[in-house]
Amino acid sequence: MKMFLLRSSALALVASMAGGAFADEEVTAWRLFVSDHGQAVVTVLDAVNGNVIDTFDIDGPASLYRSDSGETVFAVQGSAGAVTAISTGIAFDDHGDHADIDVSQPGLTGLVVTGERPSHFVENRGQYAAFFDGEGLARVFTETDALAGASELREVDSGAPHHGAVIPFDTSDIVSIPHPEDPSNAPVGVRILDRDGNQIGDDYECVGMHGEAVSGNLVAIGGCADGILIVRSSGGEPVIEPLTFTDRLPQGRVSTLIGGRGLQYFLGNFDASTVSIIEADAEEPFRLVELPTRRVHFAVDNVRARFAYVFTEDGQLHQLDIISGDIAQSVRVTGPYSMDGHWSDPRPRVAVAGDSVFVTDPLEGKLHVIDAASFEVTGEIEIEGVPFNIVSVGGTGIVHGDHDHDHDHDHDHDHDHDHDHDHDHDDHDHHDDHHDDDDHDHDH
Amino acid sequence: MIYRWLKHASICTVITLAPQIAWAQQASLNVVATFSILGDFAQEVGGDRIALTTLVGADGDAHVYEPRPADAVALARADVVLQNGLLFEGFLTRLVQASGTSAEIVEVSQGADILDDPQGGHYHYYGDRTVFHAAPYDPHAWQSVANAKVYVENIAQAFCAVDAQGCSTYTANAQDYIDELAALEDEIRAQIAAIPEDRRVVVVAHDAFRYFQRDYGITFLSPQGVSTDSEASAADVASLIREIRAQNASAVFAENISDSRLVEQIAHEAGLELGGTLYSDALSGPDGPAPTYLEMIRHNLSTISAALAVD
Repeated sequence: MKMFLLRSSALALVASMAGGAFADEEVTAWRLFVSDHGQAVVTVLDAVNGNVIDTFDIDGPASLYRSDSGETVFAVQGSAGAVTAISTGIAFDDHGDHADIDVSQPGLTGLVVTGERPSHFVENRGQYAAFFDGEGLARVFTETDALAGASELREVDSGAPHHGAVIPFDTSDIVSIPHPEDPSNAPVGVRILDRDGNQIGDDYECVGMHGEAVSGNLVAIGGCADGILIVRSSGGEPVIEPLTFTDRLPQGRVSTLIGGRGLQYFLGNFDASTVSIIEADAEEPFRLVELPTRRVHFAVDNVRARFAYVFTEDGQLHQLDIISGDIAQSVRVTGPYSMDGHWSDPRPRVAVAGDSVFVTDPLEGKLHVIDAASFEVTGEIEIEGVPFNIVSVGGTGIVHGDHDHDHDHDHDHDHDHDHDHDHDHDDHDHHDDHHDDDDHDHDH
Repeated sequence: MIYRWLKHASICTVITLAPQIAWAQQASLNVVATFSILGDFAQEVGGDRIALTTLVGADGDAHVYEPRPADAVALARADVVLQNGLLFEGFLTRLVQASGTSAEIVEVSQGADILDDPQGGHYHYYGDRTVFHAAPYDPHAWQSVANAKVYVENIAQAFCAVDAQGCSTYTANAQDYIDELAALEDEIRAQIAAIPEDRRVVVVAHDAFRYFQRDYGITFLSPQGVSTDSEASAADVASLIREIRAQNASAVFAENISDSRLVEQIAHEAGLELGGTLYSDALSGPDGPAPTYLEMIRHNLSTISAALAVD
């Protein structure tokens, strides 16, 4: 076990200790998982000191998705036809007033889900659905199975190979509807299937469907010509309704989505140089934010819930204030990365780990480190090859000292409740922004 | 691999949101209540001197609430934020941080008669070590009307602290409302007394009524822990069915904030009828049976009494 003991203190919340016991310790650990644009490798870095923890050989270049819990990273290798599960080695157990952290070595779990052209990867309600475009079906499994290295895969079939997605619910699934005449075109909507593959209710039209994200108990499905679909959960089952663009909005399309954490919202594209902050229940659900140049990538900040980050082709990283809808700060991080050229050319990607924002610089072989508060570039990490996709996991938790633990039940009711109940253990780029990581938020 | 940190620049820019405090101009106090029951208390105390925003509205579940950017804006504009505390509003700390609010954050359960939660902990095993994690208090303190009086007093004090000019109004409103609460307690005791003692065990979906149990003598069994955030396991349900039979429970109730399928299943397996819907952590909408705290308690009381009446 490798631990990163950055801070330790005798915290007020911890135990009444037996004689000779040690104090519980507050431990912070953040890890970065970085894939290469051309090589079949995932590098794991300690985000606190920049050291390489491990390197994993996989089957092909990968897009990366982290689980909601942060215990697993999935490497989706479209060209190699494989989805590989990697244990991050950081696990939290939330106890309401604090979370325990367990830090160990990362490793391949042994689970490799294979199929033809895996693309969209969605986590919802404790299940993961890897959609294989070449087969038109998703293979669904749980994190428990992924970490155990084996899984009985549940298959959800859309009916035809296409660039689609499946969103799992408790006893049913939302499935993209292939274009009826030419499945190589974008899907035309979604439908709900029960576990036997029988349709529940009507089709939901969404011509051009592409992109999905989760924020709390809401799911957003993008790409529709006239807006997006919002999916609410009722008793664990989906209730789908359209969220239509209002008349005052210019022409646009939201086909790439990520979900906020800590605040319930979605961040989407709108046009090449405009992003949209989407609140399903707000009077004006789509707020547009213009960027100085075209967008390359975006990510939400789950540590500082009011902020998200947008990287633009002029090499700038922008801090987006979700509440005011303004760009709060900008900093130049890399040289220009034009959005002209192929959609899958190597371009920077963004992840947040603790107090830092990390930006890959594929052409320079670097990660840039930006302080999230001062918003200044504070460091860089050189990486061999072409670092491309990046996700982070980690946070702060308690490691219990070696004692016969018994929590103190004699708390004063006046105790301070200002502890961070949610803890900062979830950077949560929401793993279903895979399309964005692939940067294929283009018209198919 | 080369790793190096660049020097920190000396100028540090920190963005903060300036709260848009406007009460002096608007002659009212901007108040945020985290959930509907506190919102009702706040309105009773504040009357038309306050502008109230309630985050988790009618039939909403604060245990699993996901705050929105609009909530952060409300907090940023607030003079006073009322929360229950006792780990009830798990979303609030992050929301306060996101909003940058400078409002007073008032925990209205302070000073109330709080239940230690004997079942609010669990053990973890680390190798040969055992670690106990406590969830030390039951947050549903408003289900005791005596505690509700304390809530109301705390709210009046909080309003007085920020709006001294309105203090006499707040104090008078609070006293009038506390008088109504006292009368409500008398009603509760009288109605419970009419229920045969051997019929005072019922089943609900989550442990939200233990204060009502403590103060008024109805025993509530439930398959879930205190928070609706944790799902009941099959073992929990099987154990509950045994408990229902052992204690000869007389009725099963749905809750307005919880999926009723679980309690319907329990009622079916235990051979009991569903006795109606109780309001636990949230009021109903204005057209429902429990749009205010007083009506909520009366509705729960009449629902329980009707289900437990001797056939």
